[in-house]
Amino acid sequence: MAVQFGNWLDERIGWRNVWDAIFLRKIPKVNWFYTLGSATLFVAVLQGVTGILLTIYYVPTPDHAYDSVQFISTQVPAGWFIRGVHHWGASAMVILSVLHMVRVILSGSYKYPREVTWFTGVGLLLATMGFGFTGYLLPWDQKAFWATIVGTRIAGVAPFIGEPILRIMRGGEDLSAVTLARFFGTHVWVLPSILLLLLGFHMYLVIRLGISAVPSKEE
Amino acid sequence: MEDKEEKDQLSRRNFLAIATGAIGGLIGVVMAIPAVAYVVGPALQRNKSENWVRLGPASKVEIGNPTLFKTVVESQTGWIVTEDEISVYVLTEDGRDYIALSNICTHLGCRVRWINDQGLYFCPCHNAAFNKIGLVESGPPPSPLDRFETKVEDEQIYILLGG
Repeated sequence: MAVQFGNWLDERIGWRNVWDAIFLRKIPKVNWFYTLGSATLFVAVLQGVTGILLTIYYVPTPDHAYDSVQFISTQVPAGWFIRGVHHWGASAMVILSVLHMVRVILSGSYKYPREVTWFTGVGLLLATMGFGFTGYLLPWDQKAFWATIVGTRIAGVAPFIGEPILRIMRGGEDLSAVTLARFFGTHVWVLPSILLLLLGFHMYLVIRLGISAVPSKEE
Repeated sequence: MEDKEEKDQLSRRNFLAIATGAIGGLIGVVMAIPAVAYVVGPALQRNKSENWVRLGPASKVEIGNPTLFKTVVESQTGWIVTEDEISVYVLTEDGRDYIALSNICTHLGCRVRWINDQGLYFCPCHNAAFNKIGLVESGPPPSPLDRFETKVEDEQIYILLGG
């Protein structure tokens, strides 16, 4: 019955070809370090799910942000868990992407024909950093506020363009409701869109080109 | 020999597929259960426990005439604490037993007003009328005005909210 239904569906949507191309593709004999990219992808999905759940209660305005986060952590059932996973997942995401990148460097996987995969990977790392930076402000506590003061100041010390960049990031002279709103918008709309586009492209290239083998001594 | 190897290969592949599916399913369940609790949680909470709210001095109530009391009650929705003014008509015929009536019309929630000349509560929305003790006199309301439990302590009238 299930097999029949599967056949019926596959005849119409051709999902088995796609499935095989993604999950049953040939790969060289590699080691566990080659799973770091998949680990990063897994955490990214987890961040997406927990992030969407957090927006159900979180309100990005100065008079509600802190209280709504406290409400999530202390009042909502499993709220501490959802927020905790998102909090620690953010760190895991950065660590895993960097480890993945180190592996790609050490195994020389960025070389022909995989240069574009590398470029999109760099873009993904930058997007991840952007997530970390914008997400850090959202709880709107003292740590968040002052970390963002410092973070935007760092951008501000760049010669010539620093000052305008700082003003654009803050949405004005000071860190305010405008800053919180634009960090939130960036965190939940702009960066996820960029991440999805880059990730789709990255995955397409990984599947199309196949992954590289562990380099041997003779090479 | 060739056949046996082929079989072993298949079972290894199947084992990995099943293990991957099982671990994935486990992770899915571990995430899904808290997620459902998280989303529906606040909907299941019955907020507010019972509490006695002071309306004012019992001496303010005119015997035989409904007297309006207004008081502010705090309520919490989510992380926001709001203060709402509630109005309550208190009636006594003998200065000992008190009836406290909500001024919220049981039809669609408009506020009723006591009109002394006619001896009735009127609702401005659909011309409903309630008599002195809150029973429906005319109009569309499906039930009498809500009553609060009352008590008098140290010459002050209290009503029970959230009961």
